[in-house]
Amino acid sequence: MEYLLMYTAGKDPQPYDPSDDNIAEWSADTQARGVSEYGERLRPGEDATTVKVRNGQVLVTEGPFTEAKEWVGGFDIIECDNLDEAIEIASKHPAARFSSAEVRPFMVWPDAEPGHRVVPHGFPEQPTGGKRYLMLVCVDPNGEEGGSDDVEPWVQEMDGRGVRLFGEVLRPPEDATQVMVRGGSVIVSDGPFTEAKEWIAGIDFLEVRDLEEAVEVAAAHPMARAGLMVLTPAWPFDVEDDHVERARREAPELGRRSEPALGVAS
Amino acid sequence: MERGAPTVGLSPAVSAAVRSAFESDWARIVATIIRLTGDWDVAEDAAAGAFERAVITWPRDGVPRNPAAWLTTSARNLAMDRLRRRGVEAGKLKEWTTMDDARGQTPDDPAERAVGDPDWDDRLRLIFTCAHPALPLEARVALTLRTVGGLSTPEVAKAFLVSEPTMAQRIVRAKAKITNAAIPYQVPSPAALPERLDGVLAVLYLVYNEGYKATSGESLQRLDLAAEAIRLTRLLVHLLPDPEPTALLALMLLQHARTEARVDDAGDLVPLEDQDRDRWNAVEIAEGLALLEASTGGPRSAYRVQAEIQAVHARARSASETEWPVILARYDELPDSPVIELNRAIAVGMAEGPRAGLAALSRLTRSGRLEGYHLLPAAQADLSRRAGRYADAAAYYRAAAGLAPTEPERRYLERRLAAITLGGSA
Repeated sequence: MEYLLMYTAGKDPQPYDPSDDNIAEWSADTQARGVSEYGERLRPGEDATTVKVRNGQVLVTEGPFTEAKEWVGGFDIIECDNLDEAIEIASKHPAARFSSAEVRPFMVWPDAEPGHRVVPHGFPEQPTGGKRYLMLVCVDPNGEEGGSDDVEPWVQEMDGRGVRLFGEVLRPPEDATQVMVRGGSVIVSDGPFTEAKEWIAGIDFLEVRDLEEAVEVAAAHPMARAGLMVLTPAWPFDVEDDHVERARREAPELGRRSEPALGVAS
Repeated sequence: MERGAPTVGLSPAVSAAVRSAFESDWARIVATIIRLTGDWDVAEDAAAGAFERAVITWPRDGVPRNPAAWLTTSARNLAMDRLRRRGVEAGKLKEWTTMDDARGQTPDDPAERAVGDPDWDDRLRLIFTCAHPALPLEARVALTLRTVGGLSTPEVAKAFLVSEPTMAQRIVRAKAKITNAAIPYQVPSPAALPERLDGVLAVLYLVYNEGYKATSGESLQRLDLAAEAIRLTRLLVHLLPDPEPTALLALMLLQHARTEARVDDAGDLVPLEDQDRDRWNAVEIAEGLALLEASTGGPRSAYRVQAEIQAVHARARSASETEWPVILARYDELPDSPVIELNRAIAVGMAEGPRAGLAALSRLTRSGRLEGYHLLPAAQADLSRRAGRYADAAAYYRAAAGLAPTEPERRYLERRLAAITLGGSA
């Protein structure tokens, strides 16, 4: 069973304490157990870009979609036996203590080839010349009706261009599980807490020249009409780093957008 | 509301045999078939089908010598038939059948089992899966009653005052999540067990409370749900005789013992101090006290402490002979919550006099933590009355009656109000 772990602020966010960040330990443990497929930290919400297509117009806005009070700060894709194991893995991630981990199963297709994985084996950890973005494919009740055509031509095209590295549909939020650790206790509950009308239906991981190309790729997705796309650049870091030092170094990057400013494109 | 298979028109002997088999074997049959096939609907339908067959064949052929074995075989055959029709391969079906035979019976004494033992009773897997925290709480409750308890969906819907389609959808969604999110059919690992057990107990206590005291509507008590919660908790204690489930069972029994005395012939509430203690259920009290006795020295869980409070009431011959200082000391052990604070203040009133109790209650009122909760003004009314402050008492009774969520509680408060108004004017 494959799950997406999404780290979000959750109901009861705690201040991030870099001296208590044991991500290296978590990383080593999940690698050793063979459950980890791939994961990335993502840049803060200010660097997100929302893309949607309405009446044939490509609408681009800075930041995540307006209603979202919480932001996906990072993700991991894991493969393990069942939800209890996924909960256990999520509960050991430092984000479970500072924020919250949403455990969302990937869609299992009846015609999937045996041994199929969301992240292909041998997937390169480092970009090969381009810039990497996580694209959240979201359902938006205010989207255009009948806009979610067959996504296959888009997948074929973007895979052919080499801009789509992997991607998959997620099971809906009803099948999600929230995991937090507070005061040493693992708190498990159903569903995501977000009150947003929009919900994340799938992900694609892109490697593109720049934000402009990412927006073009996102706008071409059929769900850009029925829903919306949120592009967030990866924010790579070394798990072995001194996190106190890293947090100090990165402090000036917080609270402001470092992605290019973009208005309404057409 | 009647649990289980329809037994209308059967002879008393057959009817009793079917009921007794339902009580003891439903969960076992469902739990086993779920483990074998992973299919909850097939398991429930097959178990229900086996009982339907029993109702037809037992009156004709006589009750089998081993009803449990008869029902299990019958249910398993029904499940296999259905899966065969659905196109599941013969080899897979044979594997399931032989897997179950090879497994044999589970050891009699669950206390000998180590945590994480692969031979855990299937019913325990079922109980933990139904109460999995990844499911919404209302779904956990519904699934536990439907699948472990064997109540039909309409019965569960009626007990929780929701429509049948709503309840059916709730149960369907919960089962879908078990499949889609791969919630495992297992007793949690030793590391996760304490937290997960808390979740199971919370579901059982919620069912109990729902039955003990309806949160809305005409009827104060829905006896069936409280009895069902006791039955399921008893099963849990049998499968996992840990101190916490034991304490919860004791708590339920000691409270439930007062059921008959809590309501008068008109269906109105009778407060603890006015209850006819001869009508308390001596068997349930004895069992509750014995369970507490047997688990002394265990952790002082909230269920344990609350059960000990109930035990003090159970032992007292009258309200005035109750050891209120002991009750007060127990309340001090409980984690702080507004309702605990309310009950503690009432105990203060009984142990140290109404004025001390009223002082504690006014601190609670100022905190605003129980705003809109009818039992707060009800307690203030009662202590005011004891203190001889009848005008205050009348005002509090009026406020409480306005907030009361059930008819019997409202009627009780209005009777009290009437009594005080008459008393004051006399």
